[in-house]
Amino acid sequence: MPDRLTLPAGFGRFVAFLILVAVVAGAFALIEPRFLSSQNLSAVTRHMATNGLAALGLTLVVIVRKFDLSFAGTACFAAMTIGFLIANGYDLWVCILVGLAAGAAIGAINGIAISVFGLPDIVTTIATGSIAGGLAFLYSKGRTIFQNFMQSGIIDLNDARILGYSVSFFFLIAIYAVAWFLMHRTRYGASFQATGENPVSAYFSGVPTKLYTFLAFVICGMTSVLAVVLILAESGTADTNEGANLLMPAYAGVFLGAALLGGTSVLATLAGTFLITMLLDGFSLIGVPYYYSDGVVSAILLAGVVLFDQRVRMLFHDLSTFLLPASEPREKRP
Amino acid sequence: MTGPALRATAVSKRFGAVNALKDVDFVLEPGEVHALLGVNGAGKSTFIKIISGVYTRDAGTLEVDGKAVDCRTPHDAMMAGIATVQQHPELVSDFTGYENIFLGREADRPRFLARIDRTALKRRGDALLARFPVDIDLSRKLSEMPAVEREIVAILQALAGDHIRVLILDEPTSTLTEVEKAVLFRLMRTLKASGISILYITHRLEEVIEIADRFSVFRGGRKVATMTPAAAAEQGLSLAELMLGETLSSVFPEKAAFPPGETVLSVERLGHGRAFSQVGFEVKRGEILGIFGLVGSGIDELSKVLFGALPPTEGTLSLKGRPLRARTPREALKAGIFLVPGDRRLEGLALTQSSVFNITIGNLGRASGFAGILRRALNRRKSEEFAARVALSPPNLSMPVSGFSGGNQQKIVVAKGLFADADLYIFVEPTVGVDIGARAKLYGLMRDLSRTAAVIVMSSDCDEVHGLADRSFALYKGRPIMRAGEIMTRNQLLLAGILGEARDA
Amino acid sequence: MTEVMTDTAARAPTERQGHSGMLSSFVGRYWLAVTLFLMIAVFAWLRPQILDPANIVTILRTSALMAIMVLGLTWLIAAGKIDVSFMHVAALGNMTAAWLLAGGSGWTIAALAGIAVGAVAGLVNGFLVAVLRLPPLIVTIATGGICASAAAALGKGTSVRIADPGILGELLYVSWGPIPLIAIVVAVVYALSWYAQEKLTFGHYIFATAQSEAAVNEAGISSRRLLLFLFVFSGLCSAIAGVLLAANLSSGQPMIGNSYFIDGLTAVLLGGMMIRVGKPNVIGTTTAILLLSVLVSGSAMLGWADYQRQIIKGLLLLLGVAVAMRASRSPSAHATGA
Repeated sequence: MPDRLTLPAGFGRFVAFLILVAVVAGAFALIEPRFLSSQNLSAVTRHMATNGLAALGLTLVVIVRKFDLSFAGTACFAAMTIGFLIANGYDLWVCILVGLAAGAAIGAINGIAISVFGLPDIVTTIATGSIAGGLAFLYSKGRTIFQNFMQSGIIDLNDARILGYSVSFFFLIAIYAVAWFLMHRTRYGASFQATGENPVSAYFSGVPTKLYTFLAFVICGMTSVLAVVLILAESGTADTNEGANLLMPAYAGVFLGAALLGGTSVLATLAGTFLITMLLDGFSLIGVPYYYSDGVVSAILLAGVVLFDQRVRMLFHDLSTFLLPASEPREKRP
Repeated sequence: MTGPALRATAVSKRFGAVNALKDVDFVLEPGEVHALLGVNGAGKSTFIKIISGVYTRDAGTLEVDGKAVDCRTPHDAMMAGIATVQQHPELVSDFTGYENIFLGREADRPRFLARIDRTALKRRGDALLARFPVDIDLSRKLSEMPAVEREIVAILQALAGDHIRVLILDEPTSTLTEVEKAVLFRLMRTLKASGISILYITHRLEEVIEIADRFSVFRGGRKVATMTPAAAAEQGLSLAELMLGETLSSVFPEKAAFPPGETVLSVERLGHGRAFSQVGFEVKRGEILGIFGLVGSGIDELSKVLFGALPPTEGTLSLKGRPLRARTPREALKAGIFLVPGDRRLEGLALTQSSVFNITIGNLGRASGFAGILRRALNRRKSEEFAARVALSPPNLSMPVSGFSGGNQQKIVVAKGLFADADLYIFVEPTVGVDIGARAKLYGLMRDLSRTAAVIVMSSDCDEVHGLADRSFALYKGRPIMRAGEIMTRNQLLLAGILGEARDA
Repeated sequence: MTEVMTDTAARAPTERQGHSGMLSSFVGRYWLAVTLFLMIAVFAWLRPQILDPANIVTILRTSALMAIMVLGLTWLIAAGKIDVSFMHVAALGNMTAAWLLAGGSGWTIAALAGIAVGAVAGLVNGFLVAVLRLPPLIVTIATGGICASAAAALGKGTSVRIADPGILGELLYVSWGPIPLIAIVVAVVYALSWYAQEKLTFGHYIFATAQSEAAVNEAGISSRRLLLFLFVFSGLCSAIAGVLLAANLSSGQPMIGNSYFIDGLTAVLLGGMMIRVGKPNVIGTTTAILLLSVLVSGSAMLGWADYQRQIIKGLLLLLGVAVAMRASRSPSAHATGA
């Protein structure tokens, strides 16, 4: 077959992405040589694990053409749940499992409300996120939980190293590998993609579209819990605001990745998250104050969405044909 | 004011290499109801769109009331006195009839800070009703109105502009009942009496006899005839024959050479609400059953009931001798039924995905093995095999299916059906937007499928149904019109589907 | 339809269908106001001091500032779009004014600059959504993030103290009995807005745009211009509220947006449950804001914690959306069933 000899679709975009990464890394390294130090690279990978995990579930939700604004609140609730259980001396794996169950439960509420009852996704998830954020205060009336954290072993998750890099980074790579395999090599991934691409045709092809929309929200709730476990491990305490900073980098990772690599996918999110984390880390390393980080992420997200949007490029194209009226624009047949 | 209301001279339009319209001369008299007839792709829609300013003509002239006009936008056409009511008019369902009619005309021109005088709207609306008397309560919201009243609101909205001379109606009756249609026709006669000319697209020939003063027939981008229904009757010309011209028998494959095998699907007294009722038939392995029906005849709903996407409200279905109770397409697929839907872009394909993805998505159980892992090599091989069998061109299985032509997209849906390995294939409007070459290939494929499975073809194209099927019947307003053994001549089938008559023609 | 039913119910009491239909229609349209009065009654019974003039002044002043912030948002959501940057635009307007004041500018310059920043933010949102047709949620998440960062950057991450709250600060504290001046101003603005929404083509086209942009454009109205205006207007409203908050609090608070996010959306969406069921409108927004303010004030007196209110607000929002979906679906269900 001749098409096997051609490069895979999106290869050019991937090369462009690598060049962009090299340029950004080079620029940071010039300004601040410590950027390439193993210590900093270790920090980048650790932060990337957190952002990447939160973005993974959101990727699935965006693939089925929905939005989830609740996962930050869900993460706050799960963080306090886990903190409460740790403080009460439960085994770490029990704490994390219960936290995951809590995330799954809130995701399930979103999923049922949106896929079965047809409520609008944005407002529903804002509401459930707010409720979850409020519920986070229940355990300690809002006080920070830190008891028993040192003994529980959760700190080790942050400190454990393989080949000099944080275990969490390898966990991220592993879970993205699993997610990539699931999305591109199994029938379940095909069903997710068919649901998002064209729900009507997916339904006519025998795909249970409501089930997959539901699952996307459940998984989104669970991955945000995984992300917040890493935050807990790093901070060594549980705070009611622990998950709030997950929202922006996750959205930026998903949509910047989609803009750069030409579509929402697990790998695009990984690429977007990598770029975002590198930028955030680089800026903080060269001394840009913390409060610029959301703005930087937002500006990059906006630039990515605007510059890579199909319609915007059509507009520039139309503009150029308008300025250079050499060829008459062709009419389209409906 | 003595000349024709509208005169088109030598109007032509090309799309790429296709002559959509060639040298059309057309005259619309004042106060005339003029029907436009033609099969899909005959050029009547293109003609309408040129008159109403949606398309720009390549050649020819247009005159309204003897004055040359140049309609480059719908607004130009409106200013020239030509108003159009689309097949699915855009209206605001939460607004009242008055509010919809005068949307954008509450003040002398569209602006954001004008006061809405609702009593004035009512007065203007009632004045409009006084000019064109029709029984309608315009103070009701659109969402509370039946289909015909929404259509009337759309017509009044079109007429609310000043000095409208020509009103274009695009298939206004396709969703109306008999009684509702009578209401619409009364309004059309009123408009006609007040000197407005109506240009009217329809697929229903009995309406032409009922309402039209004259009709024009389009075929292959040309206008082939203009005459009165009475003259046509005198000369013994059938409207259907004029529309269709020569039948294209050469594109159809041979009929079944062997006697059909076991019964695959049998349907008794099947019905779905008001859409259709009392439908009963059988289809056997080795044959193609054809069902001919116009838009709104119930074939769309029938296909969805057979495929589990709509529940039957009466009657029974059985598949291979066992009762069939598929509540979703998923269950229907598992039972062995595959639907090639009428709107393949909306209902049949994931357009940005590859052919392999689209071919295998209908049967993921076959496409995957242990733990749901896709059998990539097998899927690729099978897709290549089926793509070759349907003669997919270009045979590129990795490119997004949006890059294929309409005919080849349909071939991909057929390949998807082959992969689904069903016992019964249902094709709905299989060749809409498919060029004639690909059409012959698709018909061949359908015959090919019928060698090992049962095939049902549902279409609003009478020749397609008659040319392809071994047995056929028509659906007319939800009612099956059939003869013993479902054997009908082409003309019998046509009359059954268009007039609901089972007499000889 | 309601009028006809009133007549028959008055003349023929046996026709209970009409009577209960009217009652349920009344409840459907005004249940939010009824809830507000019930809530006031319950709180007043439990804690009579909620009706102290000083407390009423506080409730009305808080409500007035909130009402200014979400006026534009109400119409944006009514037109079928969303803006989740409004609270950060308010924070940026707030910090811009405070920063300029701290730098020695006068109140006029500071206030105008704060408001101008809001207009620019609205213009950017409007251009991206209405002209480039980008998804409003992603666009406003991003512009909101930029505004929040800019607001924090102006104060280097902390709040900015304002030495002199100026004439605006004084005016905010002017009140007659239980009615503060600002509440009267806002009431007038809302009355005018109600007029624009109900009696002018402006509001008419907003509701039409939500249902069918195609129908609006076919009628010769530019939905693009309307949406562009609405985004700019929303930015202006938020920024004005931000500037007033600076005067009210005698400081610029970079994080002030966060507390308004849920409240603002809840007010607009709950307000959409009233009068024009299923559609945000200014009267509904006012009622919902009052409801939220009374809830905050009353529950504080009962000693409820902030998070408990947050949960209640979230539940109210969820309930509001669910009811709105039912309400907007039922008419079409009637039409197809008939």
